[in-house]
Amino acid sequence: MRPEAQQMIEYIVRLIRRPNLNIEESTPLVSSGLIDSMALVDLLLKLEDLTHLRIPPGKVQPKDLDTVAKMFATAQRVGKPRK
Amino acid sequence: MNRFSSLIEALDAAPADRTFITAWIDEDAHENVTFTEFRCRARLQAKIFRDHGVSHGDRVIIVMPQGIPAMTAFVGALMLGAVPAFLAYPNFKVEPSKYRSGLAGVTANLCAKLVVIDEEFPDEMLSYVSLSDQTTLLHASHGRMLGGELEFTKLEDHSESLAFIQHSAGTTGLQKGVALTHGAVLRQIEHLAQELETDPATDRIYSWLPLYHDMGLIACFMLPMVCHLPVVMQSPLDWVMHPETMLQIISEYKCTLAWMPNFAFQFVPRRTPQGRWAQYDLSSVRALINCSEPVRASSMHEFQSAFTSIGLKSTALQSCYAMAENVFAVTQSDIRGSSGPVRIWADGQLFRVKHLIVPVAKEAPGSVSFQSSGRLLPNHDVRVVSDSGELLDGVHVGEILIKSDSLFEGYYNRPNLTAHAIVDGWFHTGDLGFYLEGELFVVGRKKDLLIVGGENLYPQDIEEIVGSHPAIHDGRVVAMGVYNPDLGTDDIVVVAEVEQAELLANSAEIELEIRNLVVAGTGLAIRMVFLKPPKWIVKSTAGKAARSATHKKLLQEHPELNSIEGGTNSHEARSTADD
Repeated sequence: MRPEAQQMIEYIVRLIRRPNLNIEESTPLVSSGLIDSMALVDLLLKLEDLTHLRIPPGKVQPKDLDTVAKMFATAQRVGKPRK
Repeated sequence: MNRFSSLIEALDAAPADRTFITAWIDEDAHENVTFTEFRCRARLQAKIFRDHGVSHGDRVIIVMPQGIPAMTAFVGALMLGAVPAFLAYPNFKVEPSKYRSGLAGVTANLCAKLVVIDEEFPDEMLSYVSLSDQTTLLHASHGRMLGGELEFTKLEDHSESLAFIQHSAGTTGLQKGVALTHGAVLRQIEHLAQELETDPATDRIYSWLPLYHDMGLIACFMLPMVCHLPVVMQSPLDWVMHPETMLQIISEYKCTLAWMPNFAFQFVPRRTPQGRWAQYDLSSVRALINCSEPVRASSMHEFQSAFTSIGLKSTALQSCYAMAENVFAVTQSDIRGSSGPVRIWADGQLFRVKHLIVPVAKEAPGSVSFQSSGRLLPNHDVRVVSDSGELLDGVHVGEILIKSDSLFEGYYNRPNLTAHAIVDGWFHTGDLGFYLEGELFVVGRKKDLLIVGGENLYPQDIEEIVGSHPAIHDGRVVAMGVYNPDLGTDDIVVVAEVEQAELLANSAEIELEIRNLVVAGTGLAIRMVFLKPPKWIVKSTAGKAARSATHKKLLQEHPELNSIEGGTNSHEARSTADD
């Protein structure tokens, strides 16, 4: 697993306050109800930090953030280099 | 008397080469259109719509991301005399199930001839667009393939025919479609332009507001279109992710006018690192208008204190009372004044017990303050009435009724709702307030009112007090009434999020301090305080705490509250609709 993905998982565990939960890159987060839609703003900001990309939020739907793997794939698909 | 007979006539009169819209995407990307370019693109849309059978009076629903293509589609429909309506575009912040139910309800009610979506509209949402045999689904991208422009035939004077339908905020349930005529919209804009002294040579509007909401649609799209003002806009999603961009855009484009809801006056300074404030310059701003019910002096003060050092004038922050049913504004604070909107202090006890406003000195013990939403626009009239409909004088709080020359025609396809809302020409707003010495003060929603031991309380007032505690995340507090059958009255229950989960270890201490603050501020005791970790409270699509949904969540986690409510769902009867 890439270190950025590991950092994202650690961030999510803190965000949802479930320290004992085992989250993999493919664990469904939104569709399983682990993360609500309002927390996705924080998640997207974290994703911008980890990828050093600017992610246009208008190009992102909840399904694009459903797993950690999808988050990074989405960042690559729609992200733009940050100044 | 309107200068124009339709919104299209107003657009046609705009100077050809003047910039109309700048759609700001980020530091490196933005798109500009002049009034002429906008007209050409709108006419192309009109041609495409006409080719799909759209004609006068047909509803055209536009579900597209915020931007120039959505705006040209809207005006293209207007050019045909059709009746467009913007609906919110699905986004990552909105629960898909909530969005789907809203989309299905609203599209069914409008019975549109055409539903326009963009090529990225999520497939899984499409089945929730209610399409009858008469409805065509059009992908906006298809239009780019077609050439030619509408041979534009000037429409007859249709100032009193329907122009468009705007919906209340959010995406939930059966939103009410507010039907507005060209005449009503033009009259409103004329009043607004007069009150704000707009000048196309010097003014520029900034907006992050959604086009499906009256602030975004009327103040930041129709007003500049009719008055020929430039507008710089960004998407609401970009703003919510990076609110600092508002400061960046206003500084770069020297914007002079903007509108925002109350929460944004706190959100921007709190989410912009203080070390970067000095990079920006707000000296160009003439009026930044708070359009919330109620307008909070503390929020305005926070914004003013933060940004005075970067040129924000002491008279720049203004207020207004606005609603879709009146196209937009009912009142506007006097922008020529020397000190911003009027603020008064009144006896807190008399306000709560008798709903009576007795002005007192600012320092008087137990005083409560009210920020005015401004003075009535021309050709507007207001009444404040009791529950029994009796006309009240200026010192009594009651329901606000309005009558004006820009009032809506009714809720689209909802005759019963319309009949309840407009009685003898007076629109019953559902807001409570008082009208004193020509200033309208809005104190809260009638359905939110908590009556505790005979005292009138507004959840927002309690939430503001609780939110001032340093351990509590301001804006993430919900106060609600839970019926106590033993006492025959409501008890106040408060749910509040702490700033960090670790603070929950000090719950007992924080709870006691909160109780003391509320007693000191209102004279009333809270029955129960529930401290919750960050992100617990349910938020609406507009980012506000959603009372009704939070109440339901609380009942699920604390079933003991059901027994207090005596098996009746007293809250639901008065549940707030902000979610």
